[in-house]
Amino acid sequence: MSFNVLIVDDSKSVRSVIKKIITISGFRMDQCYEAANGKQALEILSKEWVDVILSDLNMPEMNGLEMLAAIKADIHLQKIPIIIISTESSDERRNAVLEMGAKQFVKKPFSPEYVRKVLYEVIGMEDETTRERNERDNDGGDF
Amino acid sequence: MRQPVKEMKEIMMAAIFDVVEQMFYVFLEPIGDDYADYAMEAAIQFKGDLKGEMSVLVSDGLAKSMVQNLLGLETGQMTKEDIEDCVKEVANMICGNFLGRLDRTRTFDLSVPSFSQPPRKAVTGGDACRLYFDSDGESFGAILRLTN
Repeated sequence: MSFNVLIVDDSKSVRSVIKKIITISGFRMDQCYEAANGKQALEILSKEWVDVILSDLNMPEMNGLEMLAAIKADIHLQKIPIIIISTESSDERRNAVLEMGAKQFVKKPFSPEYVRKVLYEVIGMEDETTRERNERDNDGGDF
Repeated sequence: MRQPVKEMKEIMMAAIFDVVEQMFYVFLEPIGDDYADYAMEAAIQFKGDLKGEMSVLVSDGLAKSMVQNLLGLETGQMTKEDIEDCVKEVANMICGNFLGRLDRTRTFDLSVPSFSQPPRKAVTGGDACRLYFDSDGESFGAILRLTN
């Protein structure tokens, strides 16, 4: 099973880094869509099926909060898990974003390992590194 | 909520190191004086209990190193847009990280970063903090200006 991913950030560099992290993490990605703001993201979502969204908050035209509200208000889109990746890390902002329905909040700067862990958690899968470690631990206990 | 300048400088320094080392694999050495060899500037405004602007100044070589480290592009492959985008993101991340360290309980609204090449003329007076760094002969600076 592979997944369609939508990355929303006004920085092309950040979109490239997130895409690279997802690719090298071994996550089974089918299509990777990119948008520079919430408006572009909604246009993509009106045409394409997406399994998970990773989005910035601070963007021109339509910011991440406005996009999140629009997605949660749309019966066809509201179940898509959303991970917010932002420099804005106050407790108030983080709580507001999670209360609005985002699944996770990742603070920039981020480590590739943390983004990978959060992505697998949100999708409800175990990543290969964790699975291998668990298998090794289980094997070690069998004697 | 406004801390003394010395404390703000320490918080700003920690935010700068956190961002440039973790995301851009660049290591900075604080220096006392303005290196003055900056090719570009990115600035971001913030509003909340504190209002002001954070700007970062970068030499051409350091900007290219950051793009190379972040995106894996060689100098000949990177475009002006890659460099601008990367330097704007540095300002965005440092500003967000700084404000989060200053007070996690407060929310600030950040603007979309702007970019100037060459840097804007230095604004005199009213600056809260100026920090300058060297990185293998390349220059990095950060200026925090508070307007309330």
